[in-house]
Amino acid sequence: MKNGKKLKIVLAGQANVGKSVIFNYLTGLHQHIGNWPGKTVEKAEGTLFYKGYTIDVFDLPGIYALTTYSLEEIVSRDYIALQKPDFVVNVVDSTNLERNLLFTLQLLELERPVILALNMVNLLKEKGIEINTQKLQELLQIPVIPVAAIYGKGITEVVDRGIELIKSNTKETTCECKLKFGKEVEERIEQLIRVLKDVDLSYPKRWLAIKLLEKDKEIEKLVKDKEILTNVEKLTSELEEIHGHDSSVVIANERCYLASLIIKQTVKITKPAKIGLNVRLDSLTSDRILGYPVMIGILALMYLTIFTFGSWFSSFLEELTSGWQILWENIFGNSFFTSLGWSTIESALALIQIALPYIIPFYFLLFLLEDWGYLARVAYLTDNLMHKLGVHGKACIPLMLGFGCNIPGCLSCRIMETERERFLTAFLTTLIPCSAVTVIIMGLVGKFLGVGWAFGLYLFNILIILIVGKLASKILPGEPTELIMEMPDYRLPNLRTIILQTWFRLKEFIFLAGPLVVISGVVIKGIHLAGWLEATASFLSPITVKWLDLPAITGVLLIFGILRKELILVMLATLLGTTNFVSILTPVQMLTLSILSMFYIPCVATIAVLLREFGWKKTLGICIFEIFFAISLAGTVSRILPVFL
Amino acid sequence: MDNFPLINLENGQKGVIISIAGGFRATKRLADLGLTPDTVVEVLKKAPFSGPLLIKVRGSNLILGKGLAAKVFVRLK
Repeated sequence: MKNGKKLKIVLAGQANVGKSVIFNYLTGLHQHIGNWPGKTVEKAEGTLFYKGYTIDVFDLPGIYALTTYSLEEIVSRDYIALQKPDFVVNVVDSTNLERNLLFTLQLLELERPVILALNMVNLLKEKGIEINTQKLQELLQIPVIPVAAIYGKGITEVVDRGIELIKSNTKETTCECKLKFGKEVEERIEQLIRVLKDVDLSYPKRWLAIKLLEKDKEIEKLVKDKEILTNVEKLTSELEEIHGHDSSVVIANERCYLASLIIKQTVKITKPAKIGLNVRLDSLTSDRILGYPVMIGILALMYLTIFTFGSWFSSFLEELTSGWQILWENIFGNSFFTSLGWSTIESALALIQIALPYIIPFYFLLFLLEDWGYLARVAYLTDNLMHKLGVHGKACIPLMLGFGCNIPGCLSCRIMETERERFLTAFLTTLIPCSAVTVIIMGLVGKFLGVGWAFGLYLFNILIILIVGKLASKILPGEPTELIMEMPDYRLPNLRTIILQTWFRLKEFIFLAGPLVVISGVVIKGIHLAGWLEATASFLSPITVKWLDLPAITGVLLIFGILRKELILVMLATLLGTTNFVSILTPVQMLTLSILSMFYIPCVATIAVLLREFGWKKTLGICIFEIFFAISLAGTVSRILPVFL
Repeated sequence: MDNFPLINLENGQKGVIISIAGGFRATKRLADLGLTPDTVVEVLKKAPFSGPLLIKVRGSNLILGKGLAAKVFVRLK
């Protein structure tokens, strides 16, 4: 044990096992959500003060294995193997024990002290499942604690047992146990361990040997030694000859066999599961026909809630701060610098007034739907449609969010497994018209040309996204990933977890977007005050006037639009001195401007998110592409449309 | 006995996995979730418009994209 009674523990487990409930129970408000250095993988870290210990708790991403399938898996296994946490809490869903054990077995291979938190024991009875915890403990040779996380039961026992485990300071390794693979596999593992004797890597030797037999590319790269690798090749081909499958499948099969053996000895299904409410709900929401109207209903309700709450809260905040500018000018006067000073406050206020009222309910409802288990149904129902975009069903969630605000949309791209899928989904999300763009479309086209035209624009947008998505997925290197995910049972969401998740995401967003929004607000205000706007407008006029056939003033609008899309409409009214746009813009011009607003550069807050998630090169790529794309598209449309209008 | 892709099973039918014809990554992912040779798979539901399959494997429910389901070869149980 280290001095100062500091401990480092890790929560590991598959998705949907209630890990985040336990994490939030343990750390409450003492947590920090960020990224793993250099990776777009979320890192949730928190502190727990318990019995005189200061315990650092890491919540690893929910993963299904410790291979190199996704970034999360690599980060997780490297963290456990290299940072050597004092102990690992393996959270498992007791109602899906067999599949969860496949992960547990891989975790044990990493040879850190592990405590099994057997979560959701409160659901076992209803499902007619009986688990012999004592026997499970004996077989796995690690402490097994029954937990009902949503009621807070068993969580402190888990930590207690962990501390005991460290105090007793028994053997570091936990795998000197009966959990052995088949004889022919074990023989080869032992041979490899001998060969690896002199290899200086901080991973456990047995683990390295297993990974090499699984043909793990990352480990092969680390080992490098030609002689060892030829040895590995010989051993894997021997295994393949014996079993008739790829050696990675052979090892996976061994684990499956072990897991099923353990299950046979510990789990009893006492009675056939009764058809409960949740089962009925499941068959309705994933029904091949009824599932769709139900989905549209739920999503419509979600949007309605968000927009009703958002617009109410937003106008409430606006009213609250409406006198502030006059107050500021009364105190500081109205000079160049005080105006600049005001613009910092104005930008910060705008972020609070416009973004937060929508983002708070967005996150809250998103986490609610996720915790409840509905998002998996959405992925299931929309997988086929998403494939047309070159991504799979999970991408539906970011895209859906994008309609409200691109920011949570882009942030939620992390649910995609690979970097390629993440980038592609985020890119498509930035093309989705967010609520600010909706303001433009409705305020311009909807109001003066009719809702039919506005609706048409949305259809056009979806069509374009379909085409761009298809093309982008062809161009981007790497193969598309197929959908494979768990279909969780519906379960009662935990309000505390959802509120905490919403709060920390919100904090993350403010820190991320805040500075960029304020800085760019001040810069543009400065340009405005210096009287350079007209110069900018005339500089851009070859594009705006000649190519797009719009008033020269739109050049200014587009610059303000980078700050926040709805400013395009607001500034249009301010600069032209009227809200009766039909007197200054022709129908074709309105449509052109709307299309331009829909596709051109994401707003500055979204750019901030992209920057953090994908780095400046890819972000710049998206921005430049979208500027050119929007201008070409809008220009083309402005030439074609007059034929029909 | 005839082997055929999982995707050809009807709702409620069970099959035993014989082989997986996917690439390394796909095979690995399937294995991580417990889909290995000799495993019994039950097709619970198929999404419309030839969408993904809902299957039951080792006591838990999984959603499997049709592309993957076409690579898993089974024999009828």
